Amino acid sequence: MEGHQRNLYLYDRFNARVVGVSRNDVNTLKFWSDELELTFPILSNPVGHIGMWFGSLPPGYPMFSRKTVIIDRQGVIRYMRNGTPDFHDILRTLKKLNAEEVKS
Amino acid sequence: MMRSLLLGMVVLLLGACAGPAPTTVDPLAALRRADGTVVWQEEYLFLTPPAPWSLVSIEEDDYSIAFAKECSDYFPCQSAMAYAEEPFGYSRDFYKRVPEFFKRFLWAGRVVFGEPQLEPATFDGRPALVARVEGKERVKQQKVSAKVVFARRGERVVGFYYTQWRPEHVAYDPLDEQAFDDFVASFKFVKPSFYEQL
Repeated sequence: MEGHQRNLYLYDRFNARVVGVSRNDVNTLKFWSDELELTFPILSNPVGHIGMWFGSLPPGYPMFSRKTVIIDRQGVIRYMRNGTPDFHDILRTLKKLNAEEVKS
Repeated sequence: MMRSLLLGMVVLLLGACAGPAPTTVDPLAALRRADGTVVWQEEYLFLTPPAPWSLVSIEEDDYSIAFAKECSDYFPCQSAMAYAEEPFGYSRDFYKRVPEFFKRFLWAGRVVFGEPQLEPATFDGRPALVARVEGKERVKQQKVSAKVVFARRGERVVGFYYTQWRPEHVAYDPLDEQAFDDFVASFKFVKPSFYEQL
């Protein structure tokens, strides 16, 4: 999350917004977000359907795994990656999507 | 027969102990140029700190390059220096980055830091900020002297870290800090960063 916070100015530059999703409750996330001084929204999804939609619940495993998803303006998933975010990859993708959007 | 077999085994074991002493391998030898500088990952150029400082193998992405030095006179007796492309925290303003950084720095060491002493500086011809601070680990009666140079690469903040751990009653070794200062003074960026080329 700190990496995303560090890159917020670049996300802005590429006309992108970042949102975190967690199964923790609102109070826990608020405390955590304040502690890390995050300025982007973290969504609380205790039921976990968002994680299920994006395939973050491996079969037979009780916990959601980390995943980065980039969705374009039309709602199309353009990028997905499991595990630790690859910020270079994310930024390259956002730059490309922004260029596509500017062109169209 | 059994006796000679036992004797043979003992000789083999002793032979294994008495082998040639392991030679010290310089892991950066292949990267070292005629003037003694090293080009690391085709990104950074620097003079490595002198022996017994040694390269630290990096398994996490907290540091881009790191060196450490240990001694056995007392415990703890170790120093470390590193360059980090992404130092803790996220603000691009040096003065805002300092508290963000020290909130996370050596967190697992349970160190209680004093107030960092800040001193404006320059790095690579651009403004930088040096933060010096001492931390105490009261339970183990250890102390750590830390110096962090916040510098700029493009529009982002990069950092050079230095720490020296000692028992609370033992004085710090100023030579280690000098080695760190020399490392920072020699450090150059070979090419624009990923973010500058983005």
